Amino acid sequence: MLALTEGPRHGYSIKQEAEARSSGAVRLGPGTLYEAIQRLLDAGLVRETSSDAYPSNGQEAQRRYYALTPRGRQRLRDEIEQWEQLVEYAQGKLKPA
Amino acid sequence: MKRRYRLLLYFYPRWFRDRYGAEIVAACAAERQQADYTGWSGPLRFWLYILRDIGLSAGRMRLQPSRAAQSRKPKGSVMEGLWQEIRHAWRQLLRRPGFTAVAVVSLAIGIGGNAIIVALVDGFVLRPFAYPEPDRLVTVGVTFPRVSDEERFIEALSPLEFADIDTGRTLEPILAFDVGNRNISGGDRPERVLTGLALTDPFGPFKLSAALGRGFTADELAPGGPAAAILSYRLWRGQFGGDPSLVGSAVRINGRPTTVVGVMPPELLLLGVDLWIPWGIDPLSRPRNARQLTLIARLSPDATLAEANAELAAIAAQTAAAEGVQFEEYVGWRLTATPWVEALMRDIQPAARLLLGAVGLVLLIACANLSNLLLARSTTRQRELAVRVALGAGRSRIARQLLAEVALLAVAGLAGGLLLARVGLPFLVSLVPAQLNTLGVTATINARVVGWAALLTIGSAVLVALLPIYQSTRAHPQDALKSDGRSFTSGRAPLRLRHALIMTEIALSVVLLVGAGLMVRSFDKLQRVEPGFDPVNVLTMRITLPQEKYRGGAISDFFQRTVDSLEEMPGVNRSSFASQFPPQGPFSTVFRIDGIDAPATAMPTSLLTTISDKHFETLAVPTIAGRVFGRTDRANTPPVAVVNEAFVSRYLPGADPLGLRVRTGPADRPSPPIEIVGVVANTQNRGLRNPPAPEIFVPMHQELNNQMFLLVRTAGDAAAMLPTVRRAIASLDADQPIYSVQTLEEALAASTFRQRSPMVLFGVFAFVALALAALGIYGVMSYAVSARTQEIGVRLAVGADRGDMIWLILRQVVRLTAVGLAIGLAGVVAASTLIRGALFEVQPLDPMTIAGATAVLGTVALVAGWLPAWRASRLDPMTALRDE
Repeated sequence: MLALTEGPRHGYSIKQEAEARSSGAVRLGPGTLYEAIQRLLDAGLVRETSSDAYPSNGQEAQRRYYALTPRGRQRLRDEIEQWEQLVEYAQGKLKPA
Repeated sequence: MKRRYRLLLYFYPRWFRDRYGAEIVAACAAERQQADYTGWSGPLRFWLYILRDIGLSAGRMRLQPSRAAQSRKPKGSVMEGLWQEIRHAWRQLLRRPGFTAVAVVSLAIGIGGNAIIVALVDGFVLRPFAYPEPDRLVTVGVTFPRVSDEERFIEALSPLEFADIDTGRTLEPILAFDVGNRNISGGDRPERVLTGLALTDPFGPFKLSAALGRGFTADELAPGGPAAAILSYRLWRGQFGGDPSLVGSAVRINGRPTTVVGVMPPELLLLGVDLWIPWGIDPLSRPRNARQLTLIARLSPDATLAEANAELAAIAAQTAAAEGVQFEEYVGWRLTATPWVEALMRDIQPAARLLLGAVGLVLLIACANLSNLLLARSTTRQRELAVRVALGAGRSRIARQLLAEVALLAVAGLAGGLLLARVGLPFLVSLVPAQLNTLGVTATINARVVGWAALLTIGSAVLVALLPIYQSTRAHPQDALKSDGRSFTSGRAPLRLRHALIMTEIALSVVLLVGAGLMVRSFDKLQRVEPGFDPVNVLTMRITLPQEKYRGGAISDFFQRTVDSLEEMPGVNRSSFASQFPPQGPFSTVFRIDGIDAPATAMPTSLLTTISDKHFETLAVPTIAGRVFGRTDRANTPPVAVVNEAFVSRYLPGADPLGLRVRTGPADRPSPPIEIVGVVANTQNRGLRNPPAPEIFVPMHQELNNQMFLLVRTAGDAAAMLPTVRRAIASLDADQPIYSVQTLEEALAASTFRQRSPMVLFGVFAFVALALAALGIYGVMSYAVSARTQEIGVRLAVGADRGDMIWLILRQVVRLTAVGLAIGLAGVVAASTLIRGALFEVQPLDPMTIAGATAVLGTVALVAGWLPAWRASRLDPMTALRDE
């Protein structure tokens, strides 16, 4: 989902972005990738968007593009917040008393 | 490479595949390009990664289907689309009535045949045992290895043995009963019915309650208790008009007033018994070896069959230890619990299995044929289908279309098959001789049979549709449109399929033909067995004198007077009474010969037959030595016996039997010594299939028996003499019924019924198979000729001989037939163990039969191939070439 914050992407570029950002720690296989997309679609966190707005070459045109929905964006914020709290809590614990 | 990725997509649900397939394939390809997968192990690591990834995600998708999956299915239009397909298919079928007729008829034959056999098995084998939890219903069988290896279930145990078995805990409750005949009056007319004499309540083990009234109370079952009777449902309906007030009122059984206390439910017709009365004798008063009881029990709720058998083995061992000295048959005896259905089925199971197998093969052949016809059609319809694909019809749409056609054909086939079964079944049932059908059951096309036929139809339809659908959906529209739909090359792949189907048909037909041939040969051998007597013009019937009316000398006196008065009748040559007559010999005895030590391992047994004076003359059995019985052998003269040759050769080889003395019956109460005064020739006294058994004959005046068969040798047609015989008996005792009337020839035919009926059915199946296979060959070859019209035209134009043309086509027939025959013969070898038991003096791999079947099939195949070949040779080259 983070990979979509900068704007709509097609499936494979989501994978590339995710792997690049995590410096290879996250690996999305083809199957897992499209499964995840379908589940995000089901949950209404992501929507399919027209690819016409982003024409490039002929092959690209066949691909579907996905964008975050407002609900998805909100959910992402909530998640990040939770993570921040967790990180804060963990850092507090690690500080020498 | 992409194809392999695409294969992986089949792990996913279909809609997911449709939606993301292309992208996943592209992603896989991109993944493969990555640097991680270089080096020698690169491909391996790549595939492991992909397989794991796709496998896991596909698994998740299938287990937790996405919500989107549901909404993706089009609604409402499904039924509409289906209706459209069916209408289209209907029009297609009507357009080709010839094809449709052949397809429906071959399916109908296959399905109808199966329905008939299933109905027979259902009616005669399964339905008589429609009790709750029938698999927990067992009978107790007994084997006395000292006497014979035969395991007996019916009338096998004595009351004391039953009492021993009743002490166990695994069988509860047990029904013990003897079977006899009683006269019952009070209904429409006096009738003699098969009667169960029960020691325990006949409803006990069946978990069924009475249709009316109740079972027997302990009071009624006790010796000397009040006279009570339970009627079978059919006797109640047939004889007493189904009058419910009969329960509680009295009927006369053998003249004795008896209260009817209950009516059995219709499904409980045990061994064909129509009347149940209490046994009425103190079991403890009977000798230990007076074995006349049949036991049917239900396994206790917590017991298994194995536990019951273990317990029975322990009981048998105890009895052997306690009584083995006095009754030596107990040494090593075995008691076994066997499911009741299995025990009764033991005789017919092999034949039923064979017939089901045979009729299954017929259906397979019919399917192969239909598949073949459809393949031929779909090949000629290539262009139509291609146009539809090109116009955007999905391949699945084309497959649905074909499926709709097959479904229509299948429904018509099912209807035709059931119609065929409806017509054919009563005919087959009527072939069953009445005296064999003691259960009184019949077979009908009921819901179970229809259900089974429907299942078979669905299975067949899928089988039939598989190949044509596979073939038509992988056709490339471009190719099909380019070709003229007739050229040989484009049809090559489907033709190969069709050849494979033809070979299958031929192979299956060989198996059936050989089976039928073997049955015919073995029946022929059976027919050639000399019965040892002259069965022509002999009328037989049974007479049972009621014990209430005839006792002691009055019995033999009545029989003697009957014979004497019959012999004065015109048209009667000879007549005699006998307690049994060949080919049936159910009554036997153990015996000893004075002065000859019995073998230690087995107690000698022999058939024991009570006869009147002129029995051997009536049957035309020659005397070998000594004399037969005459007026001098009466109750007050010394006991005498006649034995057969088998008796002498088995027990007295090399000795002179005349003058020796035998004692029949068990060692503890043997008969007085009986002098052997004569030896007669053997008869087939244990049926035509078995070698003659040793037999002892004694005069009816010296061994009283109130139940005898009357045999009348007539000058002309035996059956026509029945009124005369009836009159003669009525003049002696107007109340005395006769029953089991049949001619000796009928009795002989009935004894071979078990061989004859499978033979007839097998023959019909083989014939049908042959016809279907011929049809298939003809169809394929006709198609091959039309597909090669141009080629043949060219050949003829450049001067090929017409004979060459015939050979060109026939060569293919020969090749297909040869391969089919080879496969079929391998099948024959594989199936030989199955059929062995059904044969008589013929080996399953009888070379003559196999050669005959091969020749018949080869000829039929050649004739079926000849017609198209001949047509090919008649082609006018100019027309053939212009056909382009």
